Amino acid sequence: MVAEGRAAGAGTGDEFDVAVVGGGLVGVATAWGLAREGCRVVVLDEGDRAVRASRGNFALVWVQSKGLGLAPYAGWTIRSSNAWQGFSDLLKQETGLDVSFQRPGGFHLCLSEKELEARATVLKRLHNQPGIVDYKTEILTHDQVKAMLPDIGPEVVGGSFCPLDGHVNSLRLFRTLHTALNARGVTYLPSHRVDNITKDGGEFRLTTPHGEIRAAKVALAAGNANMRLAPMVGLEAPMRPERGQIVVTERLRPFLNHPVVTLRQTDEGTVMIGDSKEESVDPSGLTIGVSATEAERAVRQFPLLANVNVVRTWSAIRVMTQDGFPIYDESKTHPGAFTVCCHSGVTLAANHALTIAPMIARGALDASLVAPFSARRFHVQAAG
Amino acid sequence: MTAAADLASSYELVVIGGGPAGLAAAALAARVGVSTVLFDENPGVGGQIYRAITSTPVKDRTILGEDYWDGTRLADEAKASGALIVNGATVWSLDRQRIVGVSIAGRARMIEASRVIIATGSQERPFPIPGWTLPGVMTAGAAQTALKAQGLVAAGRTVLAGGGPLLWLLAAQTLRAGGKIDAILDTTPRRNWLQAMFHAPDFALSPYFAKGLALLREVRARVPVHRVDSIEAVGTDRVREVVFSKGGVSQRLPVDLLLLHQGVVPNVNLANAAGVAHIWNDRQLCFVPVLDADFGSSVPGIAVAGDGAGIAGGTAAAERGRLAAIAAVRALKPDAVVPDTQAIRQSLQREEMGRAFLDWLNRPAPSFRQPEGDTIACRCEEVTAKQVRDTARMGCEGPNQMKAFLRCGMGPCQGRLCGLTVTELIAAERETTPDEVGYYRLRPPVKPITLAELASLPISEAERKAVER
Repeated sequence: MVAEGRAAGAGTGDEFDVAVVGGGLVGVATAWGLAREGCRVVVLDEGDRAVRASRGNFALVWVQSKGLGLAPYAGWTIRSSNAWQGFSDLLKQETGLDVSFQRPGGFHLCLSEKELEARATVLKRLHNQPGIVDYKTEILTHDQVKAMLPDIGPEVVGGSFCPLDGHVNSLRLFRTLHTALNARGVTYLPSHRVDNITKDGGEFRLTTPHGEIRAAKVALAAGNANMRLAPMVGLEAPMRPERGQIVVTERLRPFLNHPVVTLRQTDEGTVMIGDSKEESVDPSGLTIGVSATEAERAVRQFPLLANVNVVRTWSAIRVMTQDGFPIYDESKTHPGAFTVCCHSGVTLAANHALTIAPMIARGALDASLVAPFSARRFHVQAAG
Repeated sequence: MTAAADLASSYELVVIGGGPAGLAAAALAARVGVSTVLFDENPGVGGQIYRAITSTPVKDRTILGEDYWDGTRLADEAKASGALIVNGATVWSLDRQRIVGVSIAGRARMIEASRVIIATGSQERPFPIPGWTLPGVMTAGAAQTALKAQGLVAAGRTVLAGGGPLLWLLAAQTLRAGGKIDAILDTTPRRNWLQAMFHAPDFALSPYFAKGLALLREVRARVPVHRVDSIEAVGTDRVREVVFSKGGVSQRLPVDLLLLHQGVVPNVNLANAAGVAHIWNDRQLCFVPVLDADFGSSVPGIAVAGDGAGIAGGTAAAERGRLAAIAAVRALKPDAVVPDTQAIRQSLQREEMGRAFLDWLNRPAPSFRQPEGDTIACRCEEVTAKQVRDTARMGCEGPNQMKAFLRCGMGPCQGRLCGLTVTELIAAERETTPDEVGYYRLRPPVKPITLAELASLPISEAERKAVER
């Protein structure tokens, strides 16, 4: 596979139906969907030390809170949440690998009455939006939460619960998708950072340090780098990268049957704690005080964690569009060019593989599903 | 006993590691009035080479040898220098701003340093053979730790396997302490002698020459030595046999304890996490920090001394510690009177002279560094060599992507026991160099701390706001 890839990179005249730019979760989910549609696909990725949001994700398949400010986003998220089980079954059939998708319902826990009030207000505003899909998130008291999460501490005053929330093993998902791509003969080219894209006649030409790649269509799934790439094909992707930090513990006996938005126990037993947001875009930096805050809140939420060892912390840059909602677009000036750009690459993986990829394979996005996610919305808002 | 709460919020010099480099550095700096703290993880100073120098129950000086007892002087000098020496202090974080995260007895502190000298020394090279994770298989270094710290000598049928000076030293020390060794399996490839002989003249002049020869003679007189090109530990619940072969002929020995050793390599974890640039050293087959003549790293104010700067042994480590300390003193107190560096550099050069010979001679064969099949590469996450090789062939280019695919390097050891193996396996599959492949990018904590310790650290309003909502 690598040898084959090198040959293609060296410009042997191999031509692809679709070049997917970006080898993260959004890219590989889209590429897998395209391969299922029978497309000849090449995935162009950066190298080992690239800034990779996919390596830093929190692995939630999350519904609650999604859609405040853009109601259709709630429906789009629920669509993916509902498609996830089938998506994971398909992957298991192809690769034998189980990505451990579970949808037991998830919590947002509050450590003060003020936090709980703020939480209730957000949910109310969300549900008051016209056209919103009801996803049955409820506010629960301490006792109601405790009935489902027996290990919560006394400082947890309550929280919200949404039965549609779930999680997966996201690193295994990443590996599974790569394995499936490999099995389907998709060409994966690491260290092929795309420097330029032009359209010449009927085909796109993508310039990389290892030669030119040619493809009939191009799907931009390069995360924050879409901001640089999209204008090359007459599209736009206004981004505002945001740094998040995660703390991971040693393995523990299973104690937590539901994911919490800031804390979850993986199928392997480790506990991940996260959900910080910083404006800094230095991916190699790490703020110990932020990790300390995450740890402090985690111990207040689940006191049994106090004496558990932390084995890793890390920071990663979130892919974040300027308003936080996905961008799916097709180019008017460069027909055959698409953007697939969003923050929640795990939650929306099922949609990217099973809904977006077939649209790209057909050559046109289905406006009835994704029109609200065009980057044109930024101009409408600016005008308003 | 210094508690975390007793520490000042900042020191002019923080030295990390209490082996020869750290002790010499702290002593030199503190003596000229630099406010110095030395953090050492162990209950007493000495590092690995002089482990338990102030407390060892092994009082017969001939057992551990006079080189070991050289450590007494270093420990005494450091103690008398006025440096604050804190044992049981685990440094788990260091950043480019020289903020040191340290834990003492379950309490964490963040300490500011004007200068930092990392003296975290070496660790044993991973030696991934079939069965190396079975109970009853240990490293020679672990056995030597038990001897120095507790006076324990292996009982039962014991086999040593591998190569490098420490293997022979442990054999001699074990025999002198009344222990018995059933066999030594020497993995040194015969062709290494060809490379090494180019450097024999220098080696003949170095202090290691006479000592090394005497050690080999002492051990060979009492233990059968087999030259081998493959080793396998066999057993289900624990190691029962060691199977080895030479030229296609296989032999088996029953064994209760198999001690493996394949030389030592710099312990790069803390320097790596601090952002210090490293480069592949093809002679020593490991990553070493990129350093200037005073052992200053690519991160301003952070130096790496001792074997962490590249393997050169205990005496050289102390000299390197002194040079790093002199550079720190000159930066902090330009008027202070420091020893002449010329004499120290000459002594260091004498010590380093014989290294080329030892390095080339003890270079492990590829088959002992790049395992095949179901042999475990990453012990924490139980990742096999085959999985790493297959994933590299699938297009995974480096160890950081490999972590995402297979979780190797993500366990409590933070890649110490698999980092070099994974890099070398990827390089072999990609037909490129380890330097091109690179190493794990490490993040704090480089040693585990509890959530409660992390939670107890100071938190600013902005840091709290980054999480609460």
